[in-house]
Amino acid sequence: MKRLLRYVARYRLRYASGILCTVLTATLAMVIPILIRNAINAVQQRHFARVPGFAELIVAAALGMGVVRWLSRSIIFNCGRDIEYDLRNDLFARLLTLSPSFYERLKTGDLMSRMINDLTAVRMMVGLGILTFINTPLYYLYALAFMTSLNGRLTLASLAPYGVLCAGIWRLAHTLMERSLRVQEELGRIGARVQESLAGIQVVKAYTAEEHEVARFREINQTYNAENLRLARVRGMLMPLIRGAAATAAMIVLIYGGFLVTQHRMSLGDLVAFMSYLGLLAWPTTSLGWMLSIYQRGKASMKRLADIFEAAPVPAPSDDGQWGLEVAGAIEWEHVWFSYFASPGTNGGADDGAAAWALRDVNIKVQPGEKLAIVGRTGAGKSTLVKLLTRLIEPTAGRVLVDGRDVRDVPLARLRRSVGVVPQEPVLFSDTLARNIAFGCPGAPRAEIERAAVAAGLVGDLEAMPRGMETRVGERGMTLSGGQKQRVTVARLLTYDPAVVVLDDALSSVDTETEHAVLHTLGESVKGRSMVVVSHRASTVRDADQIVVLQDGVVAERGTHEELMARRGAYAELFRRQLLEEELASY
Amino acid sequence: MGCALAQPYLVKLTIDLFLSGTAHAPAPYFDPLLRLAGGHGLLMMGFCYLLMVAGEFTTFYGQYYLTMAVAQYSLSDLRIALFARLERLPLAFFDSTPVGRLVSRSTTDIDAINEMFNAGSLTILVDLLTLAGIVAIMFALNAHLALWSLCAIPPLLVIINLFRVRARALYREIRDRLAALNAYLSEALSGMAVIQLFTHEAESGREFELLNRRSRDIQRTANIYEAGLFSSVEALSSVTVALILWAGGGEVVRAMIGIGTLVAFIEYAQKFFFPLRDISTKYTVLQSALAATERIKDLMEEVPEAAGAPQRAAPRAALGSTRGEIVFDQVSFAYRPGEPVLRDISFIVEPGRKVAVVGATGSGKTTIIKLLARFYDVTSGRILVDGRDVRAWDLRELRRAIGLVQQDVMLFSGSVGDNLRMGRTGLDDRALMRALERSQALTFVRGLPHGLEEEVIERGANLSAGQRQLLAFARALAYDAPILVMDEATSSVDSETERLLQLALEELLADRTALVVAHRLSTIERADRILVLSKGILRESGTHRELLAQGGLYRRLFEVQYAPPGTGIEPSAA
Repeated sequence: MKRLLRYVARYRLRYASGILCTVLTATLAMVIPILIRNAINAVQQRHFARVPGFAELIVAAALGMGVVRWLSRSIIFNCGRDIEYDLRNDLFARLLTLSPSFYERLKTGDLMSRMINDLTAVRMMVGLGILTFINTPLYYLYALAFMTSLNGRLTLASLAPYGVLCAGIWRLAHTLMERSLRVQEELGRIGARVQESLAGIQVVKAYTAEEHEVARFREINQTYNAENLRLARVRGMLMPLIRGAAATAAMIVLIYGGFLVTQHRMSLGDLVAFMSYLGLLAWPTTSLGWMLSIYQRGKASMKRLADIFEAAPVPAPSDDGQWGLEVAGAIEWEHVWFSYFASPGTNGGADDGAAAWALRDVNIKVQPGEKLAIVGRTGAGKSTLVKLLTRLIEPTAGRVLVDGRDVRDVPLARLRRSVGVVPQEPVLFSDTLARNIAFGCPGAPRAEIERAAVAAGLVGDLEAMPRGMETRVGERGMTLSGGQKQRVTVARLLTYDPAVVVLDDALSSVDTETEHAVLHTLGESVKGRSMVVVSHRASTVRDADQIVVLQDGVVAERGTHEELMARRGAYAELFRRQLLEEELASY
Repeated sequence: MGCALAQPYLVKLTIDLFLSGTAHAPAPYFDPLLRLAGGHGLLMMGFCYLLMVAGEFTTFYGQYYLTMAVAQYSLSDLRIALFARLERLPLAFFDSTPVGRLVSRSTTDIDAINEMFNAGSLTILVDLLTLAGIVAIMFALNAHLALWSLCAIPPLLVIINLFRVRARALYREIRDRLAALNAYLSEALSGMAVIQLFTHEAESGREFELLNRRSRDIQRTANIYEAGLFSSVEALSSVTVALILWAGGGEVVRAMIGIGTLVAFIEYAQKFFFPLRDISTKYTVLQSALAATERIKDLMEEVPEAAGAPQRAAPRAALGSTRGEIVFDQVSFAYRPGEPVLRDISFIVEPGRKVAVVGATGSGKTTIIKLLARFYDVTSGRILVDGRDVRAWDLRELRRAIGLVQQDVMLFSGSVGDNLRMGRTGLDDRALMRALERSQALTFVRGLPHGLEEEVIERGANLSAGQRQLLAFARALAYDAPILVMDEATSSVDSETERLLQLALEELLADRTALVVAHRLSTIERADRILVLSKGILRESGTHRELLAQGGLYRRLFEVQYAPPGTGIEPSAA
């Protein structure tokens, strides 16, 4: 909440003017019943000449009220919008700094709901919430003052139903919150059910269980319905309760006030004015309940947003200038251990036995300009090794060095600017191909983008596309084939032009021939750079200066292609199978 | 509604009869009432008023609750209908539509419609009736004054119309900009690693800020419009009161109406503007409900899987009597036009025979299985089961004749028993136990704290890979279809589980026609015949021995994928 107050404080001037307008609105709203009273009294006393004057005053007050009310609502609600805007920007900025382990914990769907629903709740609190927070006491203050000035006892008597209403709403608000949370939970269950059933649609269909699935779905829908109606039972009481209280109060005024009028202890105009005030109090009284629930929801939402605000970004030293402009590209993994189940620096994964270690005591050294190849079966730890290099994850024990410096001591942006990765899973954004290729350096000249596209073997594909480079890629790159997407990501790396090039099985969906061609041109354009190539295809790595075979997180063999072939070990076996597989594929 | 309308009239009567003290004589038909009330006229009126209030409470509550109940039940029907439709859409639909989007259709979008009921947007009708009622009563009371009261209506209509015209475009724009913002956010969140790796954070931040600003700006404009509408309605309400006082005051003085009538008019005028106050809120809710309806409608119009033509003319074979013969006759298939996955595949599996399909990754093995279960329709050629084209089968009957074991075992949340039954409530625990026993899964299921009733967490995360496979076998055994189709799992399991899987597979294959995409040597060796696929073409076919002797593609494939891994074994030695 303190955090939110800082945002509110940013707009204090606008809030102040908005509140001023709100006060003016309330004042004018309170003046109008007085004018009505005077007019009616004048009518009753047959002073008709004075009536038009009052009528004009009422019109003037009404118009003035219209303007200030308009201003007050616009200003305060728009402050809410601005705070939402600021919060959303800041949240996104924070999200940009958070590491993959955060995104493991909070899934995209969850984050989206926080960024949409919870932000809305917070906006409601600082918009409508603040408006009612000002309005309600103000109305009460004014109305009570005027009413007491008219008749103290009548005021007390007529407010009794409002007291009851207030207490009732206070209690209802709690039940209301509780039940609407329940409804939200049930809705979440419905979503999860749809998600699960559709994700497994193939099994559902194969076992002709569609009807069963629908029946199960119907069941949870019934629970949801029941919860919703439980909510409706409470919610439905709210409006009639308010109206009932207002009407009962009016009745009391009518009887008791009427009695006073017949006794000539009160004028008819006073009575009507009195009733108008009571009417004015109905809404603010209701708002009390809303205020409570808006506040509670906003507070809960702010807490959920705090999860994002307070998530620790990857700690990185600031750019101290010690990191040279030119990166030579020496890489070293030094006694690196890694477990996905342990936090860095602890040995927490050890009690699970050896299976929990994704990497065990890995030592690899790459000289500047060398090409390192990492091969091994699925799950051997190849990708883990690469992720350590860009600090997407951190070693549980040991160090990863670039140019002799621990990557944890290097400013993150500098590190990632120097080490470029083409990940296994190609990620494209819904934007033009040109912008996807120039993703790493948005200002890249067109010629450079085109050169990269040529080097990545995209020319033929581009020619087949209606708008060439300016073709928009669909949601998650849906309109491109797997191989095309991978080549776009290779082109992206080429425009990024990093000192160290890392290919994490980046061309798995491309046929062998194309892969060879792409790797060849790629090799030409990054000549002299250090290169790390992860591949399940042995044939693409034979020219590497150093080949490392990973098995269950351990370096099983290392050496050049010739050395390893001579050893007739795991690599030789892998390579032989690979050649056969390629032969098969080209059948 | 009637009760609410009558209240101001009661106020008028009270004032005219008891309070005004003027010579304005009450109508004669009130005489009995007055006599009845005697000296307690005021109390009597108060009592009537209370009755009216209670009436309003009851009717309003009843109306709200009934509306909600009807809304809930019809929305729930809609949701179930939507879900049922989704369940029947062809697999091709799910290939191109992210599940997340479908989830939001069946939750968020239907919720938007629900919100419309909640916010009382449907009470617009009631509101209109109330308005008409008020106007009628005012005219009945005094036509002249009623006309004056309605002076504010034309400007009000002009304002509302202005708002409506502007608002429609505005709200559409809001929706579009918000959708763009959220789409960007969702994409950035799922591609966060790439953004960070390419140090694109600053640029992404800027782009997001721009979208965020565009969304904010339009919402600010909308706020200003909404506040304007709200305020003008409020202002016009007070102006109307002034008009009534000005016009009515004179009439009271001229004794043409009672002062009570005047007060009643003021009250009616205020009540008149009451429902108009939050018309803008209701309008927003209504708009998003309409948009949601549109999206749901689009989904409901997707074409479901063809149910197939049950040939009622021919005597329908009872399920048990399916012989289980499978014929692929010159089958070609492409997921995307121009990219054939299977080309001209022909083979026959005689009833009771076991056929293994082998081939490199991407050779089209799994597609054969999907075509047989008619998840997709062939592009050309035909597939016959028991001599009948699968497209001529009743879809449900066809799938009842085929038991499927997938490579990645899909388990659903629910108990172990539920996962075995897959909706066939007729299967008792005994039958399940037998299936578990035959699939070698009984021991581990008995070992679970709640046995058959053990809850499976979504996707079976609380079970090991081997246990999930055993359960998949048990599920197929319980399904007891004459044809078994299996995509063998590639994941390796410990040797004990492997032994159990072998035993279970033997049970599963017994007395059944089987088509298995094989990854294990033992499975291949057990097959009566082996089909060798490469790039969607059927290259070789024969028994393990025959094919090895041929020394062709199978021989090589065998060496690559199935020969026990050794170090430095020469190909010929395998």
